[in-house]
Amino acid sequence: MSEYTKIKPDLDFVKGVMDAGGDTVNRCYQCATCSIVCPLSTEDSPFPRKEMLWAQWGLASKVSGDVDVWLCHQCGDCSAYCPRDAKPGDVLGAIRANAIKYYAEPKSLANLLSTSKGIISTVIASMVVVLFVALIWSFVTGESWPIPKGTVEYHKFLSVIPIDIIYLSLAGFVAWVSYKGVTRFWEDISKGAGLGESYTGTAPRPALGPLFKEYVVPAVKEILAHERFKKCGAAAERAQGHLWTLWAFIILFIVTNLAMFYADILGNLFPNSGFHSPLALYNPIKILGNIGAVMLIAGIWMLKSMREQKTEEGIFKSSAQDWNLIWLIFAVGVTGLAAEIFRLIGIRIIAYPTYWLHLGCVATLFLALPFTKFAHLLYRTTAYVFQRYAADVKAGEAGFGMELPGEPEEEH
Amino acid sequence: MSNSILVVGGGFSGLTAALEAAEAGYDVYLVEKESYLGGRVAQLNKYFPKLCPPTCGLEINFKRLKTNPRVTFYTLADVTSVSGEPGNYTVEVTVNPRYTTPQCTNCKPGEEAASTEVPNEFNFGMDTRKGIYMPHPMSYPNQCVVDPSIAASDEGKAIADAMPAGSVDLSQQPETVTLNVGAIVMATGWKPYDPNNMDNLHFSEFDNVVTNMMVERMASPSGPTGGKIVRPSDNEEPKVIGFCQCAGSRDENHLAFCSYICCMATLKQITYLREQNPESEIYVFYIDIRSPGRKYENFYAKIKADEKVHFIKGKVADIKAGNEPGNVILVAEDTIGGGRVEQEVDLAVLATGMQPVGAESKISGIDYDQDGFVVEKDGIIPCGCAKRPIDVVSSAQSATAAALKAIQVVRRAG
Repeated sequence: MSEYTKIKPDLDFVKGVMDAGGDTVNRCYQCATCSIVCPLSTEDSPFPRKEMLWAQWGLASKVSGDVDVWLCHQCGDCSAYCPRDAKPGDVLGAIRANAIKYYAEPKSLANLLSTSKGIISTVIASMVVVLFVALIWSFVTGESWPIPKGTVEYHKFLSVIPIDIIYLSLAGFVAWVSYKGVTRFWEDISKGAGLGESYTGTAPRPALGPLFKEYVVPAVKEILAHERFKKCGAAAERAQGHLWTLWAFIILFIVTNLAMFYADILGNLFPNSGFHSPLALYNPIKILGNIGAVMLIAGIWMLKSMREQKTEEGIFKSSAQDWNLIWLIFAVGVTGLAAEIFRLIGIRIIAYPTYWLHLGCVATLFLALPFTKFAHLLYRTTAYVFQRYAADVKAGEAGFGMELPGEPEEEH
Repeated sequence: MSNSILVVGGGFSGLTAALEAAEAGYDVYLVEKESYLGGRVAQLNKYFPKLCPPTCGLEINFKRLKTNPRVTFYTLADVTSVSGEPGNYTVEVTVNPRYTTPQCTNCKPGEEAASTEVPNEFNFGMDTRKGIYMPHPMSYPNQCVVDPSIAASDEGKAIADAMPAGSVDLSQQPETVTLNVGAIVMATGWKPYDPNNMDNLHFSEFDNVVTNMMVERMASPSGPTGGKIVRPSDNEEPKVIGFCQCAGSRDENHLAFCSYICCMATLKQITYLREQNPESEIYVFYIDIRSPGRKYENFYAKIKADEKVHFIKGKVADIKAGNEPGNVILVAEDTIGGGRVEQEVDLAVLATGMQPVGAESKISGIDYDQDGFVVEKDGIIPCGCAKRPIDVVSSAQSATAAALKAIQVVRRAG
């Protein structure tokens, strides 16, 4: 009797993949056409053929340790050439959706945010919290609540201090959940890549300095240029909308931080110095912010149209999660821009509720980061970093003693 | 009401069905669209697994045909419509002119007078033929054909003048024959699936990517290269040869079904190549090797034991230009060894499958399934590769069965 390994299939995992849009997985007969037609597949570890087998057989630990599912941008070339119509692109998308849920804690939030109803409830809940804080804040400022009198200035409704209290604590929670998820993901993919363990029994991690210099910076540069996404066969056009959306987020992130420094810190330190929000329209920070807002709306609209078109053409499937994220980002962009326009026109009755809605959408988007499809930002970036790092470790070039033990030299 | 049986298609299945029915005492009409009988089998070099030439099997059937007055056969003939019911079908047949008479068995003088050369479809365009030609050396009927495209031209007249008096008759016209038959056996067979449909295999871009049927013609002593398998680009003998299995078969974008014969055909062609050059190295890229039954499995085991033959489990999904002139690189994932494989070969053979003729040319009054296979109904009985993809042995068996069913239909109706 030759050696054999008994496989313990995780049927719940298979069912999870099939429910999340990978219902065609069992059609695969392992011809490996997909691994070759994929423009992003790698030489030593081609995908998605092996992922199809693991998903069929319920090898959940193999899949969770597989960095390659995150290197796929779902162009659909594999599905187009698949002789069995097993749609590997959709299966990998389903595996990613499941992985995000798997790494997200608490699970209840991930489940809540996985449906459009849950997202709308979260927006409403956030708005209730905001309204409540605004009520308390109105006692401090003496402004009327909920719709302040006089010219439309949103700091009358909720000024920077309560906003920072709400959003910075939310950001802190999201950062903590993200950190937990990413480190667990790193452990799993290190094991999956066979990188061995350090003497403490954990996966090897590079020190912060080399991590950033050698791996994070090149990975982020590649992501900012969308080098791989643009190679991605039939999805190349989709990369354009995605690139706009990503850059819009970066711009808006910078603007938010500048505005926080400018208005929240300088404005509060020197109350009568003109650092107050709203910033004037000719203020460079404001100009940048408006460019970011327009780019965000345009980018997400391009993504939406492209996804609609590709879904209709049958190149890939789109799940509720895909649409939920698109509409949430769209809502953030549109409510933000609308709030600004209504403020400028000076319609109080519409302006304040719009701003209120905007705050609810932004809070939900914050919260969505580690729990929804938005988490691809975390895991795909980690995968890009890890891929570089693992290659160095395997080549014995990562330094800091993390090399795999090589073949022992023959003694003479 | 009619007791006669129509057999559509004069390949191995059609011939067998016609002869079995005729020998049981029934009048049979055999309609063949090509200018010769024998179909795809006539193009083969050897049968698997016995590796004997197909001509002997065909010869026996032709001899049975010659000695049996009950079979009336038409070549260059198309069935245009079928109507009626079991026991009483009316069939319209168009018989196209051959422009020669039965004594025209040697085209030599006419070939010398002919000027145009056209690709020879019998050899898949690997050589050319003249406007007057013998379809192939063993063709039955052994009678020359004048290409209809030149029949009315000056070249046609020159050929007619050069040939012995009374052998060429350019005044022949298409004739319509109406047959009354009691049952119809559909033996319309198959054609090699067009390799140009697989855009990732770049068949038309590389001279040295050929199909398995092209290899069969090259290996045949009567073929375009006199029995030697060569690279079309430079007529050199290939040293490293790659076979791409399932080229278009088991593929929902192409032929959704397994073509059944391609694995065995590849194993057979490996014997040609290994015999031709004992130094040759063979790479077979496959999803699964399907060699059903004890005889075929033994054949596979014999080939597998040859250390110069390498089997790689993974379908070729890309073909690109090689580093050496004329070479190509086959790209696949080795699903057992892991990793992407790029194998440079002198000659790549696409194991293309069998597409039923019904996929592209349908006869009105006959039912086909979505792939183009004939659907059986009372009185219309498919056999051979018109029914499903099968090898020659199984074709003969299904043809015999079809003959019996046809007899039952006419007996019941009569």
